[in-house]
Amino acid sequence: MEITSHQFKKTASLKLRDQKVQSALGKAKGKFVVARERAVKELDNLEEIRQAAADMRSHCLENLDSYLEEWEKNATAKGTVVHWAESAEELNSLVVEIAKRNNVKKIIKSKSMIGEETGLNRFVEGHGIEVKETDLGEYIIQQAGEHPSHIIAPATHKSKDDIADLFAEKHQTPRLDDIEALTREAREILRPHFLTADMGITGANFMIAETGSTVIVTNEGNGRMTTTMPRVHVAISSIEKCIPTLDDFALINRLLPRSATGQSISNYVSMTTGPKREGDRDGPEEFHVIILDVGRTRVLGSDLRDALRCIRCGACMNHCPVYQNIGGHSYGWVYPGPIGSVLTPAYKGIENALDLPNAATFCNQCGVVCPVKIPLPDLMRKLREKQFMRNLRPFAERLGLKVWATLAMQPFVYSILTRTVARIGKLIGGKKRYLRKFYLVGSEWTKQRDMAAPQGRTFREIYGERQNLSKKEDVR
Amino acid sequence: MSARENILSRIRAANKSAGNAGSDSARVAGRLSNPVLGPRPNLDWDPEEQFIRKSVASASTIAQTDSMENVPGLVNQYLTESGLPRSGVCWGEFSQLPWAENEIEMEFRPATGDDKVGVTGCDCAIAETGTLVLLSSPDQHATSSLLPETHIAVVRKRQILKTMEDVWGFLRERPSGLPRQVNFISGPSRTADIEMTLVYGAHGPYRVHIIIVND
Amino acid sequence: MRVGLFVTCLADLMRPSIGTSTLKLLENAGCEVIFPMTQTCCGQPAYNSGDSENAKRLAKKLISEFADVDYVVVPSGSCAGMIKEHYIKLFESDKEFLSKSEWLGARTFELTDFLVNVLRIENIESSFQGDITYHDSCAGLRELGIKEQPRKLLSKLQHVAIKEMPGAEQCCGFGGTFSIKYGDISGRLADLKCEEVEQSGADTLVLGDLGCILNIEGRLRRRGNSKTKVLHIAEVLAGENLGDETPK
Repeated sequence: MEITSHQFKKTASLKLRDQKVQSALGKAKGKFVVARERAVKELDNLEEIRQAAADMRSHCLENLDSYLEEWEKNATAKGTVVHWAESAEELNSLVVEIAKRNNVKKIIKSKSMIGEETGLNRFVEGHGIEVKETDLGEYIIQQAGEHPSHIIAPATHKSKDDIADLFAEKHQTPRLDDIEALTREAREILRPHFLTADMGITGANFMIAETGSTVIVTNEGNGRMTTTMPRVHVAISSIEKCIPTLDDFALINRLLPRSATGQSISNYVSMTTGPKREGDRDGPEEFHVIILDVGRTRVLGSDLRDALRCIRCGACMNHCPVYQNIGGHSYGWVYPGPIGSVLTPAYKGIENALDLPNAATFCNQCGVVCPVKIPLPDLMRKLREKQFMRNLRPFAERLGLKVWATLAMQPFVYSILTRTVARIGKLIGGKKRYLRKFYLVGSEWTKQRDMAAPQGRTFREIYGERQNLSKKEDVR
Repeated sequence: MSARENILSRIRAANKSAGNAGSDSARVAGRLSNPVLGPRPNLDWDPEEQFIRKSVASASTIAQTDSMENVPGLVNQYLTESGLPRSGVCWGEFSQLPWAENEIEMEFRPATGDDKVGVTGCDCAIAETGTLVLLSSPDQHATSSLLPETHIAVVRKRQILKTMEDVWGFLRERPSGLPRQVNFISGPSRTADIEMTLVYGAHGPYRVHIIIVND
Repeated sequence: MRVGLFVTCLADLMRPSIGTSTLKLLENAGCEVIFPMTQTCCGQPAYNSGDSENAKRLAKKLISEFADVDYVVVPSGSCAGMIKEHYIKLFESDKEFLSKSEWLGARTFELTDFLVNVLRIENIESSFQGDITYHDSCAGLRELGIKEQPRKLLSKLQHVAIKEMPGAEQCCGFGGTFSIKYGDISGRLADLKCEEVEQSGADTLVLGDLGCILNIEGRLRRRGNSKTKVLHIAEVLAGENLGDETPK
């Protein structure tokens, strides 16, 4: 997916004024946040579980090579064909190779964010193979020619009316007004494809080293269809998805659905280990897993590595006040919200996503809900630091910081300057004691807010006078 | 060097540069052979009661009986009350039950796109989350619980385990290891992708009816 | 008990009544308050902008200014948080200053936390009256666990009723330089907070961080609301700045 993060500020401002987007975001916020809170109440030892999950994920990353090798050994023993890819192009080409070798004309696809990263669908369609997204949200945006705006609910930015219009147009059917009816229609349309597709592509929430399995966590049933009906199944995964054992999966699976959609468990958890066995009457003849490393190892060796613990639940963006008001498309790439603000510059280059780590208040609403305790504000701060060191910040900002720091290191000059500013500010504030407009520095403040005028004296001078007064009294 | 070699060596180099000693093979081997049981929440409930509670909360329906012989009768009752056709496909393990006597046309084969009702057993069930655990095999067709609009699952009370961690013991002891697919099913299929509104019956079954047999 | 007062650069410049209120509360409780006159800034603006060199410089200065006290009290969750939680991150590879940061961090408290958990104040006398609602500033809440402390103190005041907002813990959109870099988003968050404040039915908004005060108050006034008062908790507890007078 091409990156448009450099348009963040402009897009965000547009989304803030878009009534439809605002209404959709309002609905989503209420549901996701309330649902998660209710679901985690079931875990009386939530913090203990979170810490164990964070430790387990860190342990995975520290020993990732060993666990991947173990996973591959066990997967291969069960008949899985394992491929490794070092670039988006390599992954896309591998998929087409497998498809061509198996005379695949039609592919059904269950959600995969990695597929979004590599632009898989477009590449495959360019080779004359049909690709049908089957997750309802992904299907909707595929029909609309758009990118997902959320990693769990891709079409969250679209209203029921948008979707009704879209289906009427694309399906050439009478326009429906009811959400249940629209869902039924999508089911009817996609059903024949499940039954006739030659190949299924899924992502993988986790790879379990102990058994050589891949696991997907879904609700609709399309994931199960995609892994069971076609004669070839390809799962695309990335290196950091590997976890050691089944018990580690059970641990993390208490947090993932609760953090994502507020469910105690997702409707379907499908653990696949190899292709159909001798005697099985259903299941694919071939099962391929492609393990991808695009940018992951670079991040692993950097001070941003904690971001690789991510289990893609979406809780951070659901709870982020910035995301809640601007939506996912503003972020300009596959992953929005706080995790996107870290991964986008990490994977696509710091200079291509300058706004993202800066467009945060560091409220840490994300950090406190992250099931694997990723210190998101700290990681965003590290990115700000990298931008600063590489002189990627605007000149005015660097100058302002330098001036501020220099003054703050000189208490005497500082005290005089602040006294002056306090008096002038109070004067300008006038009787109403408010400043209405800043020019140049801080002008973005006064676009929507007043600024209370300073009270007119600094604390330092008030305290100084008090000390002088009491000294005089002492003397007397 | 292959992509595989490149990736693995990059992982090792990345971990070294991050100040780790590199993969601790003893720890890895230890964790794989003695998996770490993580912290679990309060499990102070009766498994059958919890299973029923969570299954109902996930929009499944429940029936209970003391004998396997009663299952076809309960299936008949459920299908009739729901206005559903009294025919379908079923796992082979129930082929000896009195289906015809209970006016049900049952075939013992994998489901196709046209079958409306699928009857399965399960390998075990998880009380904590109201979850059925179905392993695929020559006799346990994955399609039976997936393609038909109605999925009826027969669960023996003794198959109800407390947590997912308890399922692993069962899986690890299996002489043939893991099957192609282990499916954890917790209710009818659903989606909330349109305006965050929950709708049942996305691509999988519209409804799940669970018959608990206490024999 | 020698209690150092770090008044914060923003309060010093914009709203010294927060400082004088804090001083009054501490002295009334029997503390010997030390105010190092050379103090300026804790370094947070530089730190959050990625300028760790200048952040370290300012941090070292502050550390040396407060080297000789039993406690440091700060009427701001974000500045207290900077000293308590972030100095150790700034100096993680500097043995000397890491140890000094740990020493200082252990002794640094946000004002309400200090009053409740260290001084264990039982009585507060203030002339403040009215229905209030409380905004939980992010750093105070999530870095320092400031939630019950201000409410406990406010409940000791007669003639004061607290009307909680459902979104009391939601970020107000200040975020330091965020407010002047992403004014549109910041303004929207401030607006949402103002709606909650107005819906609460309280006539005064009370909070513990001047950044949030300036942000929310600024938006209230621009929205045409000149009635809702916005006060720092120190001012409420000390009974200062309740009207229009300039602090003495």
